[in-house]
Amino acid sequence: MSALLPASTRGALSLVRHTWTSWLQYRGFFFLLAFGWMVPPLIYLFVWTTAAGGETIGGFSRSTFVTYYLALIVANQITYSQTNWTVGDVIRSGGLNELLLRPIAPLYDTVAGEIAGKVVYLIFVIPVTALLALLLRPALPATGDLLLFLPALLLAWLLRFFWGYWLALLAFWATRADALLSLQDALVFLLAGQVAPVALLPGALQSAATWLPFRYMVGFPVEILTGRLDAAAIRTGFALQAGWLAVALALSALLWRRGLRRYAAVGG
Amino acid sequence: MSLIVVENLSKSFRVPERDPGLQAALRSLGRRRFRTVNALCEATFSVERGEMVALLGPNGAGKTTTLKLLAGLLHPSAGRAEVAGYLPWQRRPEFLRRLAMVAGNRSQLTWDIPPMDSWRVLAAIYGVPPAEFRATVDELVALLGLEELLARPVRNLSLGERMKCELVASLVHRPSLLFLDEPTLGLDVSMQRRLRQFIATYNERHGVTVILTSHYMADVVALCPRVLLIHEGKLLYDGPLQQLAAHLAPFKLVRLSLRHDNGGFAPEAALAATIPASMDSGVELLDQSEMGLTLRVRRADIAAVTEHLLGALPVADLAVEDPPIENVIDQIYERGVV
Repeated sequence: MSALLPASTRGALSLVRHTWTSWLQYRGFFFLLAFGWMVPPLIYLFVWTTAAGGETIGGFSRSTFVTYYLALIVANQITYSQTNWTVGDVIRSGGLNELLLRPIAPLYDTVAGEIAGKVVYLIFVIPVTALLALLLRPALPATGDLLLFLPALLLAWLLRFFWGYWLALLAFWATRADALLSLQDALVFLLAGQVAPVALLPGALQSAATWLPFRYMVGFPVEILTGRLDAAAIRTGFALQAGWLAVALALSALLWRRGLRRYAAVGG
Repeated sequence: MSLIVVENLSKSFRVPERDPGLQAALRSLGRRRFRTVNALCEATFSVERGEMVALLGPNGAGKTTTLKLLAGLLHPSAGRAEVAGYLPWQRRPEFLRRLAMVAGNRSQLTWDIPPMDSWRVLAAIYGVPPAEFRATVDELVALLGLEELLARPVRNLSLGERMKCELVASLVHRPSLLFLDEPTLGLDVSMQRRLRQFIATYNERHGVTVILTSHYMADVVALCPRVLLIHEGKLLYDGPLQQLAAHLAPFKLVRLSLRHDNGGFAPEAALAATIPASMDSGVELLDQSEMGLTLRVRRADIAAVTEHLLGALPVADLAVEDPPIENVIDQIYERGVV
């Protein structure tokens, strides 16, 4: 996209390191945030494992639910793009001027925040999840599923990030565009496998979840990891994930270009 | 060839407009009214390499708009501007590398870490080699006396200290063009003076071109031999600061101190007696006290008036001054005329 102007990788890496050191200053705050994000999946983990008891629900046994929700906690944390909220703030507050004066694209600043955030959150989430795994004894995933999980997780992050990015860029036109980000969060909660694995959703919701982009932001890689999908479903899933990512990238590039033109016309 | 060439540069904004009140708010939901604001109107000027120029004007005159146009943050509505051989609003990386903009109300430092860390990131972003970075920072830190602050997080710095660190941040990549938008905003008098000294020294050493906006005339007097006066988007004056006063205010102030050996002396009566009727209209008594008088006199009449005064009054001391530049400029702001 146009925002990816030639820039020194050194500059971008330095931005990541810098944002990270700055954020470590208030790691306590970020750990609390990360804990807050863990709570809903944890609640659903306990709801579903209790409901399953010794039986299976829709093919999910107790230990499958544990695997599913522990993986979901990690996947949710890795894909959640809190920088999307900052993008709109920076545009509204005029802070974008500072970034536009630099010889590298402002997107780098956002990506730096994104990567730095992941590192800070994961310092908290990985040990906590590992501890929960020791206590709750999940079913161990197959190696093949794990190998497919990783690229699906990476694509999920990119999709969730750029989907939120184009929504956030609407701040160029509307001051309260971040309401759309709240809507995205709600849809992710409902359709991406948090409330229940997509396979357990009732008919209409399930087909909506299958075709809309939200499942591919969190649930899809987790379903792969728990061995819930056959080869055909995985292929379709990757195709839909890549397709939605292409849409998100195209919209981000378009809105960035248009938005910047408007910004330069009306004044930041 | 000049570093900055501006020809008939204009910028107008369409701003939505509505009357106060609920009814008006509801009406504006349907059809919105717009008003066109001409923030800058056909400005033409040029700036040479190494020059220090001040943009003067009241709030909302178009100073910041001009800086933003030259920095490429705004796209002009009409006209042309070329800065260091580039069209600013294309924002080419090579152009941005030569430019720095400091605003008194903005920050490019990260709040929670020491300034040195922020500078290092900026150096990486601008691709400054480590050796050059060290040399630049050493020089700037010595010039600004920042040695003690380097280990403190930015949030623990005072406003003045932070402003110094902002200046370093903007100079890390050794720009050839420096835009200062109200750099001394909110600083105390001695901090203002030190920043001015620094800017002057830096300009002299490195030949950096400076465009400055400020509400403190002291900044302008100390730094910029040349001023551009902008009012309501129009460039009203472009020239030396001293001549701005002459240009705007066709009078001078004459201050008289009187000897006290003649008791019962009435300054006003004496004055009336000394000023010939032919000059009467051009002389105005601004202030009088036991000690002396302050008169406003047309420039053309200065010689004749002082001669009369010296002859007719017991003068202990006499001084002829330009009116304070603030007053002159205030008149323009108030009346909007030159």
